[in-house]
Amino acid sequence: MLHYRTEGYNGYAIKYSPFFDNRLACAASANFGLVGNGRLYILGLTAQGIVGEKWFDTQDGLFDTAWSEIHENQIGVASGDGSIKLFDIALNEFPIMQWQEHQKEVFSLFWNPIQKDQFASSSWDGTVKLWTPGSPRSLSTYRTNSCTYSTSFSPHNPHMLSCVSSDSTLRIFDTRSPSAPAGPAGMMQQTGTMPSVSIPVSPMAPAELLTHDWNKYRPETIAVGGVDRVVRVFDIRAPGQPISELRGHNYAVKKLVWSPHWAGVLSSGGYDMSVRIWDDGVLVDAFGPGHGAGPGGPGTLGPPKVGKMLGVFDRHSEFVAGLDWCLFGGEGWIASAGWDESVWVWDAKAVMRGVRVGMR
Amino acid sequence: MSANARLNQIAGQVASSPDAARQQLLEKNPNDIVITAAFRTAHTKGGKGGFKDTSGAELLAGILKGLRERSNINPALVEDITVGNVLAPGGGATEFRAAALLAGFPVSTAVRATNRQCSSGLQAVIDIAHAIRAGQIEIGIGAGVESMSSQYGPGAVTEFSELLESHPEAANCKVPMGALSEKMAQDRNIARTKQDAFAAESYQKAEKSQAAGLFDAEIIPITTKVINPDTEEATTITVSKDDGIRKGMTAEALAKIRPAFHKQGSIHAGNASQISDGAAAVLLMTRAKAEALGQTIIGKYVSSAVVGVAPLLMGVGPWAAIPKLFEKTGITKDQVDVFEINEAFASQCVWCVEELGLDKKKVNPRGGAIAFGHPLGATGARQVATIMSEMKDEGWKVGVTSMCIGTGMGMAALWVRE
Repeated sequence: MLHYRTEGYNGYAIKYSPFFDNRLACAASANFGLVGNGRLYILGLTAQGIVGEKWFDTQDGLFDTAWSEIHENQIGVASGDGSIKLFDIALNEFPIMQWQEHQKEVFSLFWNPIQKDQFASSSWDGTVKLWTPGSPRSLSTYRTNSCTYSTSFSPHNPHMLSCVSSDSTLRIFDTRSPSAPAGPAGMMQQTGTMPSVSIPVSPMAPAELLTHDWNKYRPETIAVGGVDRVVRVFDIRAPGQPISELRGHNYAVKKLVWSPHWAGVLSSGGYDMSVRIWDDGVLVDAFGPGHGAGPGGPGTLGPPKVGKMLGVFDRHSEFVAGLDWCLFGGEGWIASAGWDESVWVWDAKAVMRGVRVGMR
Repeated sequence: MSANARLNQIAGQVASSPDAARQQLLEKNPNDIVITAAFRTAHTKGGKGGFKDTSGAELLAGILKGLRERSNINPALVEDITVGNVLAPGGGATEFRAAALLAGFPVSTAVRATNRQCSSGLQAVIDIAHAIRAGQIEIGIGAGVESMSSQYGPGAVTEFSELLESHPEAANCKVPMGALSEKMAQDRNIARTKQDAFAAESYQKAEKSQAAGLFDAEIIPITTKVINPDTEEATTITVSKDDGIRKGMTAEALAKIRPAFHKQGSIHAGNASQISDGAAAVLLMTRAKAEALGQTIIGKYVSSAVVGVAPLLMGVGPWAAIPKLFEKTGITKDQVDVFEINEAFASQCVWCVEELGLDKKKVNPRGGAIAFGHPLGATGARQVATIMSEMKDEGWKVGVTSMCIGTGMGMAALWVRE
């Protein structure tokens, strides 16, 4: 278990580099992101623990970060002033590119893992924007008309752009559909691309959604989480009800990420200061590759499965806001960042007592 | 954007809305413990009512058979039946097992009896719910029965030894209900006029509800024999209505009745629960099981609380148990649509209602034990049948049942109607 202190800055997001197994980036904000500067930490995992290799300061707080999938030194940040900045970590101080289109705080940034020249952002201004690093303007704008906390691309289909927002809805846009023309700044567009999928996540008791992620093995599976503390797993082919529900968080779920190694396993963190590891209960073997789900698998109608909590990481002493699984090396390594000015890098297997993993 | 806006946004994500606890209650989860049927027999007057010649075990067999038929449950799937009872020797364990077999349950369905005095019926239902929650069984029945006609009397309490008598609080456990309730009414200054007004309302609400047929949905008619005391002739009757509900009762009429326990006392036959015969039963399972079997889910069990109080103050039980239930479940009295609080005595019930600050309109809207009786071991299960029925009729969602318990305890349970 490794620790790094982001002194004076409260962590909002953490991401492993897709190129180097020993590099992490943490987006953080002074004063809990309420007012003040932001800082992007570039961290190295060394034999001596986590080392702060470099940082970039920004005028306003940072709420998310995303490594470029095509350039190993480039990384974007989502800023409270509505801007998106692209830094080159081989350079110092200033961003190499900056986009200023969002009217309010940018809360989420996600690089397309397949079509690697694209990334997306989502904002409090009720829009999701699609970008390419080479263009000074966004490629398209998608409207949710409500504060959109999280956006993502399917890891299976480069054209499926998803987002969750404060209206308790999970939307998926097809980026091949024509989008609304970018109107004058600040003008609310009445027309625009309709989402190809729109799922009211908890229609009986709507609650703000703060995070979501696509399952890495089951192309139709998305997990969403938010203020009502429940992580719900949906199969977008049968969106009438969740296929599984994970209950245990005592406060809002701020961030969730599926494991890149175990098809049925995800981690979630939130305002109850915990990170929880779950088996979503859909697969017979959560630690298997996730293909050919047996009876009760995706597509089978029936009441939602009850997810099983496999373990809790409780070292954070403030809100947990950032989480990522390491893609490289041994299965189960997680980095987490929180408002306690702490970055932890830890092995999920160590908190999953009594769970047999890594034996295959 | 301003720091304030950001702060408000985060505060909104952390703080739960005032109704969040209630919303959470109403959520449906596969592992909820749900009720798919809850019925009772009519309650009849001890010693002279329709069930005066029906044994407790026969009453139980009647309600179990009715529950089995109405719910259409395959009896072989019912793994356990717990029956609340107070007065039967040996807790009734032997004859209740026989009753279950008589009611059409196979030998594979286990049966036991349980006794927590006046809450035995509730305890039985909760025990089944918890056995399901813990994974011991998947489907069970919580029931309660009491034949006060045949088993009420001084013999129900074992003689206290000198050692028990030597401990003042221990000795208090055998003080008769009437005597200690009289003392509580004096100590807590609960005026007779207040008691009589409360009792009269119970009669009036029950009379109105019975006339409107509101009890019919929760009562399973039982066909039994009744013996004419003069001719000793047995006739077969079907009992489908409570027979203790006195018509046209007023506080003024109650004011004329002589106190039962003390010359200067305030408690009398008209403002205390009636001695009655009756039974009730509740079928429970997980939501996933109910859905798999195609059972109609009518509601769910959420949580319960049990507390001890001083034996001489047993009447304050609900006042102690209900707040504990609220604490456990995070809801408040304003989020509850209806309370069924057993009317052991008008004195203790009205005191609890007032001390808890409950809206009187929400308490026992169809009357209570003063009007139609308190067959001790049945009442807790009877309240579940009643609250499920009235919540359905009124469109209510959240209900609490509670009672005081002899020797000084209180219980309360939270139910959701679906």
